Amino acid sequence: MLASQQTAFMARVLDEDAQLPAGWSARHAAGLAVYRNNYRTALVEAMRATYERTARWVGEEAFARAAAHHLILHPPSGWTLDVIGDGFAATLADLFAHDPEVPELAALEWAMHCAFTAADVVPLDGAGFAAATAGFSDEHWQAMRIALVPGTALVPARHNLVALWQALASETFEAPDYALAEPTVLLVWREGLDPVFRPLDAADAIALAAVLRGASFGDLCAELVERFGEAAGIERAGALLGQWIGDGLVAGVSC
Amino acid sequence: MRQDAQTFSGFGLGLRREHYADFLAGAAPVDFVEVISENFMVDGGRPLAVLEQVRAHYPVILHGVSMSIGSADGLRQDYLARLRALADRIEPLWVSDHLCWTRTSAHNSHDLLPLPYTQEALNVVCDNIDRAQNALGRTMLFENPSSYLTFPEDEMAEWEFIAAMARRTGCALLLDVNNVYVSSRNHGFDADAYIAALPHDRVRQVHLAGHTPGEIVIDTHDRAVCDEVWALYGRTMTVLGPVATMIERDGDIPPLPELLAELDLARSLAGKAGVAVAA
Repeated sequence: MLASQQTAFMARVLDEDAQLPAGWSARHAAGLAVYRNNYRTALVEAMRATYERTARWVGEEAFARAAAHHLILHPPSGWTLDVIGDGFAATLADLFAHDPEVPELAALEWAMHCAFTAADVVPLDGAGFAAATAGFSDEHWQAMRIALVPGTALVPARHNLVALWQALASETFEAPDYALAEPTVLLVWREGLDPVFRPLDAADAIALAAVLRGASFGDLCAELVERFGEAAGIERAGALLGQWIGDGLVAGVSC
Repeated sequence: MRQDAQTFSGFGLGLRREHYADFLAGAAPVDFVEVISENFMVDGGRPLAVLEQVRAHYPVILHGVSMSIGSADGLRQDYLARLRALADRIEPLWVSDHLCWTRTSAHNSHDLLPLPYTQEALNVVCDNIDRAQNALGRTMLFENPSSYLTFPEDEMAEWEFIAAMARRTGCALLLDVNNVYVSSRNHGFDADAYIAALPHDRVRQVHLAGHTPGEIVIDTHDRAVCDEVWALYGRTMTVLGPVATMIERDGDIPPLPELLAELDLARSLAGKAGVAVAA
């Protein structure tokens, strides 16, 4: 009985056009309206907190409509508000088909949001990496897999999200030139307690995509060799590995 | 420092981002800090770092909004495991949540939805509290909700439901005086009679907050505590004796001194009610 009552009540909270039970008065309807409003207002507010810059870019009203649309398509099922914005970039891609920078900006905000509360690890520094790989044979290097710090993600972009992100840092902003000659990929990770991002060059993007899908260092080198040639490819792989360690991106290595 | 959860009394505030600097430095003159548990049930990052730093200065209460103790399909194991891990890490003074439900097996409203006060619902709530207290290894506090409708199926009053719940499970109570006031206005009961009927020896903490008046009074936590709620608080403290008091503010957050002034008023009223208040 209670289970069916709760299922029916939830359906009435989620659907503003749902019929009221027989015997409910206007007073009941007014009370239900409060719960409906609380639900929508709190969730849109939580979405706005996650997608602060996207909201600023499209405007508050358009954002509230888009967030409400997303919540109708994907009503929350988890206990944490942190995940209700999952998939919002895809919703925005449909709603803002003529403004493709909007879903890209949202995808970047989502990646930064996820990195913010990702698990804490102490990344390997140069000495730690040297110790972890001491005694590696050629076969070990070939087979080595690199674990990146939790929260690391790649965000493809066809627009200058760096310029957009910086411009949207304040509530009053001037729209920057956000055109980009070539598509790029942004790397998101957490530096200490702060989520950060930077654009990648082609080699970095190929290599990090390989690492994130679990490729071995040998396979990663092979991809770079195919793209840049034998000597340049191997050299780039070594240089990139050094840069990742310097950026605090490498959580560990295994064979 | 471990606090005695049975006898702790003091005056505290919620940890809000606007006041982080004061609490991180231990500079805010409060006896405890309350946080929303779910905001810290995360894998890592700044939220946990902040909470650990605050915990170094103050006793912390974990106040949840998503346990859904009234859900007919039971509690989520992953939620309980996360909350247990947080409690083990922070060693809170208390872990509390609300007498309400927030979800079904399919959806989560992230709102504190009302229960019908029936024997069936009481059985569900008591079973869930038993499971939660076992999973957490501690006695929990449950807060009376604000509500905006009652059900034709109700078989008992809210205060009767709460008294039975505390008796059967051994749980403690978080008495939200503003919620009593809000619901009394919305449903036409006597707020003093409600409080008189509760098992006072089970109350560990009192909440105070502001609400939005109207045809339906709404518990918004976005303004100062009103005169009627202060008066009800004063009368409540004469029957409760020494318990912890906390002021909730979640919207239109004022500068910290404004909230501290409200907390001083709570201290003064508790003192006038005969409760010993530390200087």
